[in-house]
Amino acid sequence: MNVTQTTELEPLTVKSENIIHLPLGLLGFEHLKKYVLLYNEQDAPFRWLQVLTDPKLAFLVLCPFEVLPEYQPEITDDDAEFLGLKSPQDALVWNIVTLRGNGHATINLKGPVILNRYTLTGKQVVIANASQYALQHPLPVIGTTES
Amino acid sequence: MLVLSRKTGESIIIGGQITVKVMRVEGDVVKLGIQAPAEVPVHRQEVYEEIQRNNREALTSERPAAPKLSPQKGSRPLSKPVVEKPQASTPA
Repeated sequence: MNVTQTTELEPLTVKSENIIHLPLGLLGFEHLKKYVLLYNEQDAPFRWLQVLTDPKLAFLVLCPFEVLPEYQPEITDDDAEFLGLKSPQDALVWNIVTLRGNGHATINLKGPVILNRYTLTGKQVVIANASQYALQHPLPVIGTTES
Repeated sequence: MLVLSRKTGESIIIGGQITVKVMRVEGDVVKLGIQAPAEVPVHRQEVYEEIQRNNREALTSERPAAPKLSPQKGSRPLSKPVVEKPQASTPA
C-alpha cells in the first residue's frame, strides 16, 4: 500500500509530525513504537494503524463512539498524565478490531489505543472500567464476505 | 523464584525504582500498592495476556477488506469518517 495515496494526515507524505508514537508499543508488540494512521475510502469508517517500519503490518482500528454510543472508557490519572491529556477533548480513541472470518469482526473495548491529538503520542491502556466491557465485542456487520 | 514474607504496610523495592507495598490483606485477597516509573507499565497478568493474545490475532499482513457495519439507529451514515483527524501540534 502506497502511504502517499492513502494517508489522510496532511501533508500527504509521511512526515515526522504525522508519525504516531506509542512509546510503550502495543501489548505483546512492545518493540513496535512508531505507526501511521491510514484511511481509505472503501474501508471507512475503519482505519489502519500501520507499523511505520514494516508497512505490511497493520491493525484495523475503529473510533468506537459512532457505532457504540454508550461506550465510555475511563482512563486512570496516571495514563492521562503519561499522555499529557488535560481534558477528554485532547484524546483520540481507537479500538483494535479483529477480523473473525465470514465478514464478522470483534472490537477490543477493554484496551483502546488513546492518543493525544496534539502530540500524537499514544498508549494502549487498560481502561479503569474495563470490567464493564468485552475484549471481543462483536461488531454489527451486514452480510458476509468470503473469509 | 524469590519468595519474601511481608506484613501489611511493608514494601519491597525492585531495581531501585519500583516499590510494591502490601496495603491490605482480606481473606485470600491481597491489595498491593505499586509505584513504578511511567515507562514501566503495570498490568494484572491475566488482563495483559488476554489483550496481548487479542492484539496478535488482530495483526494483519494482508490488509483484507474491512467489514461493512450495519447502519446504527439515529446515527449519521457510516460511509464517511466521523472523527476529526489528528492534528500535529506544530503548524506546517
